[in-house]
Amino acid sequence: MMEALPAVVPVAAARPRRQVWSVGGGKGGIGKSLLTAALGFQLARLGRRVVLVDADLGGANLHTCLGLAGPALTLGDFICRRVERIEDVLVETGVSGLRLISGASDFLGAANIKYAQKVRVLNRIRSLEVDIILLDLGAGTSFNIIDFFLVSDVGILTVVPEPTSIENGYRFIKSALYRRLRAAAPSQAVRAIVDSALDQKNPLGIRTPLDLLAVVERADPAAVPLLRKEMGAFHPRFVINQVRDPADAAIGHQLVTACARHLGVKAAYAGYVPFDDTVWRCVRQRRLFASAVPDCPSAQKVRELARGLLQGESLALTW
Amino acid sequence: MVAVLGGNHYEVLGIDARATPEQVERAYRFCLEMYGDSSIAIYSLLDADEQRRARSRVQEAYEVLRDPFRRHDYDVSQGFVRATPPMPAPPRAAAGPVPLPAPPPPAPRPPAPQVLEGPVDGATLRRCREERGISLKEIAGRTKIGVRYLEYIEADRHELLPAPVYLRGFLQEYARATGLEPRRTADAYMSRLRRHPDPTR
Repeated sequence: MMEALPAVVPVAAARPRRQVWSVGGGKGGIGKSLLTAALGFQLARLGRRVVLVDADLGGANLHTCLGLAGPALTLGDFICRRVERIEDVLVETGVSGLRLISGASDFLGAANIKYAQKVRVLNRIRSLEVDIILLDLGAGTSFNIIDFFLVSDVGILTVVPEPTSIENGYRFIKSALYRRLRAAAPSQAVRAIVDSALDQKNPLGIRTPLDLLAVVERADPAAVPLLRKEMGAFHPRFVINQVRDPADAAIGHQLVTACARHLGVKAAYAGYVPFDDTVWRCVRQRRLFASAVPDCPSAQKVRELARGLLQGESLALTW
Repeated sequence: MVAVLGGNHYEVLGIDARATPEQVERAYRFCLEMYGDSSIAIYSLLDADEQRRARSRVQEAYEVLRDPFRRHDYDVSQGFVRATPPMPAPPRAAAGPVPLPAPPPPAPRPPAPQVLEGPVDGATLRRCREERGISLKEIAGRTKIGVRYLEYIEADRHELLPAPVYLRGFLQEYARATGLEPRRTADAYMSRLRRHPDPTR
């Protein structure tokens, strides 16, 4: 039974009620899963109904971050159709408003699911009656990971202040953007240019999305506005994890500036999380730091991060 | 060779053309850090040569923008501001003593003090100041007038300003520090203070 709609729809209703957020980052071991778990926890504390989804299909461990044992049913069971309904693999976490769909670590082929399966998974997850679906993506830049990132309303890119992590972060951005541009390419010629850009040593000399635009400009000028529009709509948000000093925190601004100047990508700096021994101790005890020690600096920063992301805010560079 | 960092000097430093000297300084330090040898934010995007070129482009921009005179000339050349117009001749019918002639220019620069046309309020003063990239703190340092009073002047918080006899002095100092003609600027601003008649006039 549907209730009668009010005559005037309140302004707030214009905001999409159900959002998909994803947490990626090219490199492994930089705290993506912990960050995702803590972010989900804080969002739930802020009154949102949240489902965490362990989309790290090859190396799922989000349940451990939450201090839970590996659940009996996982996303793998849904993918293999051992259960029919996505609700069947949804488990409570013990935190009000926060539930989990565990990853498919029991299913070794899961990391390579086919496109059709991916679409089915995404559609069913999207149909859940929640406010925010928070995906923990695995490491790397495989299509599975990038596709989840690209369908998200909020794409969070985790890096730690280390050269390797940042290098992979840029690689992640380029891979995701090229995949998006390829899907939007209006002609075979443009698609071929995007394809060759995926090879960093391509003969066209394309190293960045801006180079790509310059090459497309010569080949098919009419396609440029379309590609520019796609680039403008691509808006990754950086989170710097394991920050040890103010210089580390400032790197977020450098990344955003570098993305704009040298990649033509409009990124944002969503926030940072300090390096914190408490987090490490909690991991050892298989407890989530955000709930075990709610006042530790990391928990507080993740709370700020959650608030900022909900309000679409980012850390601005002010002089 | 393609420029690693395109755009004008302001774009290179990532600032607005109205940036204050302090903002120029901070933006410069940020860029130096970002394109520095030990920067981890840039090393996988630019090769060593590109990084060096980016740094020298930042340096070039900074050298111009840190110097008020070079910056003014640059702004004029880029069309960000109009060249300072020459002092208009004082109107013949003006009552009272004829205004002093403009002091002889000591050098081609700095530009002669500007006489503002029309009514002068706090917002006008603020705009002039910002166009010249001068901060309130700098004026305070030069004039020994508290930043708070300078802010009141710009915000037209007339009720918080000191007695007119002092205010006139403040305004003249402000104008001098901003490159405006002191007496006329003070007159124009004071003429808007209806509730506080100026006994010095």
